[in-house]
Amino acid sequence: MPSLNENLRGRDYWRSLEQLASGPEYEAKFAQEFHGYDPDGLTGSDSGVSRRSFMKIMGAAMGLAGLTLTGCRRWPEQQITPHAHQPEGFKPGVPVHYATMLELSGVATGLLVKSYDGRPIKIEGNALHPYSLGATDPFSQASVLDIYDPERLRSLVEQADGRKSQRSWEDFTTFAKTHFGTLKLAGGKGLAVVSEATTSPTTLRLRQLFHAAFPQATWHVWEPLNRDNEIAGSVLATGNPLRTHLALDKAAIIVSFDADLLGSHPARLKLARDWAKGRLSADEGKMNRLYVVESNLSITGSASDHRIPAKPSAVRSYMYQLAAALGLSVPATGEVSGSSKGSERDKKTFAALVADLKANPGASVVAVGSAQPADLHALGHAINQALGNLGKTITFTAEPLPLSNSESIKALSEAAKAGQVQTLLVLGGNPVFDAPADLGLQQSIKSVKQIITLSHEINETCAASTWSLPRAHYLECWGDGRAWDGTLSVQQPLILPLFEGKSPAELLALVLDLPVQTGLELVRETWTAALPVMGQEAAWRTVLHDGVLKETAWPEVTATEVKLPALPEAGKGAELEARFVSDLSMYDGRFANNGWLQEMPDPMTKLTWDNAALLSKADADRLGVKNGDMIKVDVAGAGSVEIVALIQPGVAPGTVVLQLGYGRSVTGQVGAAIGVNAYPVRTSAGLWFTSATVAKTGKTYTLAATQEHHLIDAVGVYGREKRVGKEKESGILIRESTLAEYLEDRKAAHRSAHEVIPLQLFEPPHTFNDPHAWGMAIDMNSCIGCNACVIACQSENNIPIVGKESVVKHREMHWLRIDRYYKGDVENPDTVYTPMACVHCENAPCEQVCPVAATVHDTEGINTMVYNRCIGTRYCSNNCPYKVRRFNYFDYHAKGPHGLPLPWLNIPDQQQVQSIDPVKQMVFNPEVTVRMRGVMEKCTYCTQRIQAAKISAKLAHTAGQRDSELVKDGEIVTACQSSCPTQAITFGNLNDPQSRVSKLQRNNRAYEMLDELNIKPRTHYLAKVRNLAASTLDEHNREAHVGHEG
Amino acid sequence: MFPRWANYLLPLLLLAAAGGATYVPLVVFLGGSPQTLAVGYKPTQPVPFSHALHAGQLGMDCRYCHRTVEKAAFAAVPPSQTCMNCHTNIKSDSPRLTPIRESYSSGNPVQWKKIHDLPDYAYFNHSAHINKGVGCVTCHGRIDKMEVVEQVKPLSMAWCIECHRNPENNLRPREEVTNMTWDALIDTGKTQSELGSELKKQYNVHDMAYMTSCYTCHR
Repeated sequence: MPSLNENLRGRDYWRSLEQLASGPEYEAKFAQEFHGYDPDGLTGSDSGVSRRSFMKIMGAAMGLAGLTLTGCRRWPEQQITPHAHQPEGFKPGVPVHYATMLELSGVATGLLVKSYDGRPIKIEGNALHPYSLGATDPFSQASVLDIYDPERLRSLVEQADGRKSQRSWEDFTTFAKTHFGTLKLAGGKGLAVVSEATTSPTTLRLRQLFHAAFPQATWHVWEPLNRDNEIAGSVLATGNPLRTHLALDKAAIIVSFDADLLGSHPARLKLARDWAKGRLSADEGKMNRLYVVESNLSITGSASDHRIPAKPSAVRSYMYQLAAALGLSVPATGEVSGSSKGSERDKKTFAALVADLKANPGASVVAVGSAQPADLHALGHAINQALGNLGKTITFTAEPLPLSNSESIKALSEAAKAGQVQTLLVLGGNPVFDAPADLGLQQSIKSVKQIITLSHEINETCAASTWSLPRAHYLECWGDGRAWDGTLSVQQPLILPLFEGKSPAELLALVLDLPVQTGLELVRETWTAALPVMGQEAAWRTVLHDGVLKETAWPEVTATEVKLPALPEAGKGAELEARFVSDLSMYDGRFANNGWLQEMPDPMTKLTWDNAALLSKADADRLGVKNGDMIKVDVAGAGSVEIVALIQPGVAPGTVVLQLGYGRSVTGQVGAAIGVNAYPVRTSAGLWFTSATVAKTGKTYTLAATQEHHLIDAVGVYGREKRVGKEKESGILIRESTLAEYLEDRKAAHRSAHEVIPLQLFEPPHTFNDPHAWGMAIDMNSCIGCNACVIACQSENNIPIVGKESVVKHREMHWLRIDRYYKGDVENPDTVYTPMACVHCENAPCEQVCPVAATVHDTEGINTMVYNRCIGTRYCSNNCPYKVRRFNYFDYHAKGPHGLPLPWLNIPDQQQVQSIDPVKQMVFNPEVTVRMRGVMEKCTYCTQRIQAAKISAKLAHTAGQRDSELVKDGEIVTACQSSCPTQAITFGNLNDPQSRVSKLQRNNRAYEMLDELNIKPRTHYLAKVRNLAASTLDEHNREAHVGHEG
Repeated sequence: MFPRWANYLLPLLLLAAAGGATYVPLVVFLGGSPQTLAVGYKPTQPVPFSHALHAGQLGMDCRYCHRTVEKAAFAAVPPSQTCMNCHTNIKSDSPRLTPIRESYSSGNPVQWKKIHDLPDYAYFNHSAHINKGVGCVTCHGRIDKMEVVEQVKPLSMAWCIECHRNPENNLRPREEVTNMTWDALIDTGKTQSELGSELKKQYNVHDMAYMTSCYTCHR
């Protein structure tokens, strides 16, 4: 690899620093379709088996198989097991959807879950829920896998004297009756509870009963990803704990100070939808403008129009400058410390930010991230007041969550240390793993005699407990919660607990020895108050159907006067600061044993199965650190952690970013010891950022990042550039323009593209005379790269996970990947996302090379993949210009992510049936074939959903319920489309000129990727439009020009 | 060096090779064909339910038990409850019905053996076929005469495709789908191909290109 410094010009758009630096070795990657493919072992591949020896073994095996005719017999006997008593209206094999909700950190998001013959198998968003609006995020999409995790806590475990013994609920009930009975007599002295943050009315009602029964007991709440600063800030500013609501759809200018509004904010789905409204209106000539000042490159930063990288403590000086410009009295601040190289650009950007805010009074939003200290939140409120935003784009409600998680867990730790706690009840959560390191909770709870932990999986807290009780998954138990705005939501189970788990409310009822102990009764009792007395049953039915009780949001609180708190001088900050961020795969670590999330590439780093310390290029150069070097991050006063370094474009110089939630020591085999745990260096004082030093250790480590996998070679573009230069690029992948250019010339995005002459050397091979012609449009203007579609696709289409070892070999199986391209300054690049799945070319290159016609067209224009014909030559993948085909190198479902591949020669026809864990099998979508090893697969446009919609349209037509057999626009929603929070993906019938997809494909921004190949993809992309501030345009144009010459 | 009889070895070997060359493919193709493997599959069920009695002699409609056949992909084997609708009164103490009664009281299902078993990558939808006028008898044979149900058609892809190419040979009026004895000529006076072509048009049956597209059956 050539040195990164010597050649940083390269191409306009790049996926990695290596690509930016270019060079012949990098170009060689384009030439190699299958990573490390060396069939004859000529270059000393370490695969162990060369093609020759493989052929020898297989030859012998085939001979033997031929002799015994093992293949020729009827397949295994199967049973049909109808109900004994069938529920009314039940139709076998016809999926039913139920409304329910998922609560994360005390905020409920509505879901619609698909149940297939009684098994929940797919999560969709609930369109009736105000904070889902039909969309989902990767956590909820992947949560269905957790029910069928064979490594769940499957029974009650009592641990005494280092010995573990299996117990039943009867055993525990007997124990609890005497134990808590005694405690009750003592008034609850010595009893403490620690729970996750919750807004569940039922749990909170039981908490009241708990305090009444055990008056001296203490209740603690701990969420590692808490919003303590935000709440404290509202108290500083208004005197009351308030929750801030942002109306991004009403804002022309959105400014985020370290707030990841679209990625990790509790209301992210709604915020993303509202933000996207202001992006999709580009065609009407108006767009919102998003400024982000942040240290880590978050997905909000990547979606922004202008971004200023600033280390965490430098956000303060930026906010002071803004406040001063608005006439607020804040301490003077000197030169704002920006990134070393781009500080001129940052200064201009910031001036534009201030000017924009001033020009849009009452129509802007200034948001402050939960990582920033409380006084800055208060300052944020003051700024919003000065801008006239309060009551317009910013509203408040009362905050239902406890004021301070940190104080709460600290009190517990101290009480335990002082020997005041004899019984600790852990109602969910994993405090031993994720409590602040300085509390030493793991040590202090050693004096607690009885630790009773309710947990979904076997975690670190269970390991320290005397009783580990299985917690019911949220799809297994009744519950309730409140949405971000307070709307009452109900959690409805779809299946009985697989492993006799209980919900936190049910456990509380057991501890309190209430007469009513089942989840449904507990929830109904709570809801009696909320529902009308007359027709209560009908009202409850409506709630179950909708998932929410309408018009139950908290009343708005008007903050009349916002006080400015005492603000300290903006210091220079430490030279290097560690910034802890919530991870978009692991959340706080609870999803560690979820293979889908482990293998989901991080939107920015594209890392799978690992976390890394993210450094800016400037810092890495200064420290002499390269990608893959192990470094020691030493956090002042908390010790150090050894972790692999990764240079991440866009990270602010002076910042080292640590993702939380990795490095779980006690969990299932999928997630144990994956990545590095950053909690041991996270203290109460430096919960989000703190000063740190970094030193190289000299060791190296292999990361599995997918950012350079499946590179699209824009048709020999490297060779052609050498001959004809770069002006008018052919095969241009990414098209974008600024809003100003777009308003001037609606085709501006296509300007730099080479003109395509639609010349065919031969007649197109298909005529497509069917009334349906399926197509898709993907709007790059609203895609935020959140990965919800990737997991939705994985869940819908039975896509296996392959494990880190295989990801390193480019063998990940995701049908839909999100290509993330950077452009411009390596310290602060612009980002573009292109969700890339099979584009269903009408004149498909894959079809022309398949020797067995295993991939052919159907009459509706779908490029079909026929698994049972495929013989695995992989020619199709080789010939696919978009690199969207995936090959099953192993029986991944049976193999498991870290397992050894199953022996090749053991090929009974039932291998899959026998070797996939029966619990794991339950998550499969029966409407989609589970593919075997040795076949190619790819996006099918969710053909199972298309078939279902067509058949139901035909049946309804036969029954006289509709005029036409044709599918109406919007009746088919693909899995990716339905999950998208910003509605960037549209699917439909291209033969209907009025369908949304037809309209979008006629949009001025629409283009076919690699259109010059004349292969007529059915998926079109819509170019991105950046709404750049006028004062920065000169700079932008100059940079673009330089880029072109380079 | 070799004894004299060794001369006969060569023709013998050739004969054996020729024999082998015909025998092995025959075994593979005939022995492995769905005709041989699937047709006639007639497992013993936990309850000796007689279609000949219920559907034949008693003339019960198929849809009394297989009630989702017009609405869903699966034709639904009935729950034990459906049997008990009648059998609480009729033959209520027959020992042959013990599994049904046990299932009804315990709630555990009766484990019927699946006879018409398609490969997992083939997705057959009963409702789609019934609503286009494909009769039960076309694929399942004279169920009304079967004491024990057996498979009468190979259900192989070649067999499916035959009809997907020329559906008119197997279409009948929708009202007659469950009729086991319907015959085009006798019941309508038209030949099957005449009537089939008419119905194909009337029921909007797709053309061959659509019907033989892979994703029509495979997903």
